[in-house]
Amino acid sequence: MIRAHVGSSLAALAVLFAIAPALSGVVVRTKSAFAGRRGAPVGQLYRDLFKLLRKGTVYSTTTTWVFRAAPVVVLASLTAACLLLPLDGEASLVQFSGDLIAFAGLLALGRFALVLAGLDTGSSFEGMGASREVTVSSFAEPVLFLGFLGLVLATRGLTLSAMLGPALTGAWAHQTASLALVTLAFFVLLLAENSRVPVDDPATHLELTMIHEVIVLDHSGPDLAVILYASALKLALFAALIVEVTVPRDGLGLAWSLAAFVGGLLVVAVAVGVVESVMARLRLNRVPQLIVGAGALALFGLILLLR
Amino acid sequence: MRTTAELLLLLVVLTDLAVLGTSRLRTCIRAVAAQGLLLGLLPLALASQVTVHIAGLAAGTVLVKAVVLPWFLLWAIREAAVRREVEPVVGFIASLLLGALALALAFAIAGRLPASDVREPLLIPAALATVMMGLIVLTTRRKALTQVVGYLMLENGIYLFGLTQTESVPFLLEVGVLLDIFAGVFIMGIVVFHINREFDSLDSARLSELKD
Amino acid sequence: MTFVVWSAALLLASGAFGALFRPRAALADAAFRAGTLVAAIAGSVPAVRVLRGVPVADVMLPAPVPGGPWVFGLDAVSAVFLLAILWVGAAAAWSGVAALRGHVAPGAARASHAFVGALLAAMVAVVTARAAVPFLIAWETMAIASYATIVLDHARADVRRAGMLYLVATHVGTLALFGLFALWGAGAGDLTFASLAAHPPGGVVRGAALVAALVGFGMKAGMVPLHFWLPEAHAAAPSHVSAILSGVVIKLGVYGLVRVTLLQGAPPAWWGWTLLAAGVASGVLGVVWALAQHDVKRLLAFHSVENVGIILLGLGAGSLGVTYAHPAVAVLGFAAAALHTLNHALFKALLFLGAGGVAHAAGTRELDRLGAAARAMPVTAGAFLVGAAAIVGLPPLNGFLSEWLTVRALLHAGLSAASLRLAVLAVAVLGLIGALALACFAKVVGTVFLGRPRDPAARVTHESGIGETLPLVALAAACAAVGLTPAVVLPAILRAGAEGAGVSLAAIWPGGVDPAAAPITLFVLAVAGLGGVAWASRALLRTRVARGAHETWGCGYAVVGGRAQYTASSFAAPVLASYARVAGVHANRTAGAFATHAGDPVLDAVVTPAWHAVERVARSTRPLQRGRVWLYLMYLVAALAATLGYLLLAGRAR
Repeated sequence: MIRAHVGSSLAALAVLFAIAPALSGVVVRTKSAFAGRRGAPVGQLYRDLFKLLRKGTVYSTTTTWVFRAAPVVVLASLTAACLLLPLDGEASLVQFSGDLIAFAGLLALGRFALVLAGLDTGSSFEGMGASREVTVSSFAEPVLFLGFLGLVLATRGLTLSAMLGPALTGAWAHQTASLALVTLAFFVLLLAENSRVPVDDPATHLELTMIHEVIVLDHSGPDLAVILYASALKLALFAALIVEVTVPRDGLGLAWSLAAFVGGLLVVAVAVGVVESVMARLRLNRVPQLIVGAGALALFGLILLLR
Repeated sequence: MRTTAELLLLLVVLTDLAVLGTSRLRTCIRAVAAQGLLLGLLPLALASQVTVHIAGLAAGTVLVKAVVLPWFLLWAIREAAVRREVEPVVGFIASLLLGALALALAFAIAGRLPASDVREPLLIPAALATVMMGLIVLTTRRKALTQVVGYLMLENGIYLFGLTQTESVPFLLEVGVLLDIFAGVFIMGIVVFHINREFDSLDSARLSELKD
Repeated sequence: MTFVVWSAALLLASGAFGALFRPRAALADAAFRAGTLVAAIAGSVPAVRVLRGVPVADVMLPAPVPGGPWVFGLDAVSAVFLLAILWVGAAAAWSGVAALRGHVAPGAARASHAFVGALLAAMVAVVTARAAVPFLIAWETMAIASYATIVLDHARADVRRAGMLYLVATHVGTLALFGLFALWGAGAGDLTFASLAAHPPGGVVRGAALVAALVGFGMKAGMVPLHFWLPEAHAAAPSHVSAILSGVVIKLGVYGLVRVTLLQGAPPAWWGWTLLAAGVASGVLGVVWALAQHDVKRLLAFHSVENVGIILLGLGAGSLGVTYAHPAVAVLGFAAAALHTLNHALFKALLFLGAGGVAHAAGTRELDRLGAAARAMPVTAGAFLVGAAAIVGLPPLNGFLSEWLTVRALLHAGLSAASLRLAVLAVAVLGLIGALALACFAKVVGTVFLGRPRDPAARVTHESGIGETLPLVALAAACAAVGLTPAVVLPAILRAGAEGAGVSLAAIWPGGVDPAAAPITLFVLAVAGLGGVAWASRALLRTRVARGAHETWGCGYAVVGGRAQYTASSFAAPVLASYARVAGVHANRTAGAFATHAGDPVLDAVVTPAWHAVERVARSTRPLQRGRVWLYLMYLVAALAATLGYLLLAGRAR
């Protein structure tokens, strides 16, 4: 089904695209507040992006077209994934039965491109990052599906729009426990998929301890800008998913709906900042344990729905 | 979530999963303590009206399961200078998956039991799940202390079963709380110190050295 | 049907031409290529017609042997398999001609082509046979022809071993199939599929027949734990033969399972659940074992196990949908299985041919010695990358489409009543399989085509010839075409699914048109379009900024060349760490070196010990063999006497 009125969807999409870099800024500010510092301005990433866009690009002589295509594929796949979520709280731009696998598939496409770009440089550091990225995601993806399954069973909807739409409000009244567990699992996924503490530390400065940052070591200039923006968008996308699950917005009217959306995104960003402030990064071999634990929670929610 | 009891039972299952998933001994014990607290609150939540009997039962359960035993276990860690990590035989991910499987089984079996409790449909599955996860902890953890934790979970599961029968057999739970747990934990406590003295270790896998 | 018969005859003849008449090599090769291509086109005509809803009449031959007439027919299910056989066959034949030319003796090449022709013709017969006797004859022909093509390089001991393992496995499977048809046909008048379907056995007999089917067809399909022969055989065979084996031969095991499911009318619930469980086991274990491999062809072979698992998930869902009378689940499940069969045939053939090209150029199949092949082989690399993205199930390629159908079937099951809804949990398994497959193909593409060469001796310096790259490009284009045109593909494949489920599409959706067909088409085109737009805007941006070239940033360390790169084994190690013993990786740690060896847990821990036990038993019968003619005659007489005695006693008892 393609919607007749696309205006509100496009407006919500524009809001998400515009606010995405600010969310990382909010996380940083929250961490600074915990540490008793002032911290970088919320808009720092915008400035970085503009700076990088004006710079030149240096390509490693080892790389092929795969390396050059990666930023493009990452951004395009995330943009397409945004089209699948009902960001305005009512319906998404494109929806079809079973589109949850399309959402997961697009995230996987971006990951595939990024990992291959890392391997394309021939650097052992980037190879290591690529290896860790696929390790984390191999645990995270089934959890994402378990969470989606919980939503499907709770709302009896087969499209993301139906799963995250008005039916969800009713489902919260009857299936509170399951949906709370799913939300918790999604939050752990947000941390894992976006390489945040306790899975990865975006502020680390030692290549050996990085996951996401080390894969993009060789990107520079506009390419790096695209990748940084895409990372911010991915965080915003997962935050949007959590907001969609937890904040019912049907019948609010566009303006209030968007305000609630933005407010929700900021709350999630602050929550990420709080987690980063109070937790230490896990040892790498403990990361699967965390994600499988989230999976166990989602599965528990699912069992409650299936009984 | 329709009732407080349901919330409490869900949290009981979550504490089960927490015991399975954590690698720290102290977290394990705290999770079991939390479970004890939840179990103590359950009779209050399930009862149609709170009598002195039920209030006493709740207070006793909380005291034994959430305060005394965890304190006893934490003290044992301190005294025996046990290493702080849980030593699993099958790995945390595998035990979590086993736990999820046990959970699914518990719900499947509970659906087929003839005497499923009408007051609270979650009670029997939660009891079964707690018993099974207790068994998992008992069989897949190497340290004697974690085995005590598993034993306690097993007891807690049986306590939950007992809750279904409070009306037909009034003093079942009290007997359970006072006798079973005390006996069990004292035995395990003695075992703990026995192992500690004899072998300078709380590792029950070393009990196999006794065979010579 | 005439076209199908001609197609099969042409396949047989064009392969045999070279071997029988011994013309010049160029003529024989040209004849083989032309024959397979024309056969593919000829056979596609009826197949496409059937998929568009035009029925094709059966052909019935009077039987020269017991078991009723020999019937051949073509329905939508067969048509999907037929398309896969013919086009993968043609692509592999084209590539194989180029690959064998100049690398093996002309006589051996001719013989190999003849066997490939026979193999393809036998497969056409398998999927069109509508009676047990021609089915089994074609099945056995297929098995023997496969064996002959696998052991082309029979001078090598490991090839002979793989061939022998295959031969034993396939005959165990065939034996089980004899059991299947014997049990099933006992109650039916003859052995045509029509009468088998009309008289399904009941109770224990049905159970035994179905178990026999599971063993016989599961063995061919490479279903865990009956997959143990597959990686050995597929790695030992020449690459174009591996493409046929992995792309279509093992699919005929799936075809057999589909046919048995359909013959039953309403299969028992345990059949569907067993297929689903086998799908979960094959899917997860297949991809975990694939991750552990060091040899690119063994790795691809294990991925066939994984993909058969995905197909079985669809098939299991379809079967359960029939059992529990849920038409949407049944149709979507069967359609998903059919489409994934076709898709896997396309991308697995592509991957095997591509890997074969690289292995040829580099002289090794060891992942840890390869690297940077994309520079010398841009076409192969591009096509392989498309195949890799397709097998991982990434939009907008064809693998995504079939996994999407599988998920839809399972989701519909999840929303239904009764115990069918538990099937929905398989969706999470599918997610796990997909993520692990992504890890595995990132490893393959990354270590084979990207980075720097790891071993100067295995450095790739030239692209494969046009004879080998053309099939690759064609297959990659096919993967993209199927993926980008769901509006065309879905109605046809759903028709096959509806035929399998025995319901009409109008019973599920008003007008019989899947409402998701239009938006998914829009979606895949949007994904492709967004990629295009982003690439174009990048080109615009690039003109404005300065560019430079430098060597890879080594994080302050002096980069010490290709050997410092992450290897395939180290790339996979953290993922495999969580699967511990299941992964089958053995590590050898010595003072100066660390090496890992990836075995097959089933082969190493179950089949080989079992085989040794059989050998021990067999050895105990040795005293019977004396090498004297009179003794053997005596055995014969004794056996005859025993049989007569039995008949006598049995007659009296009656």
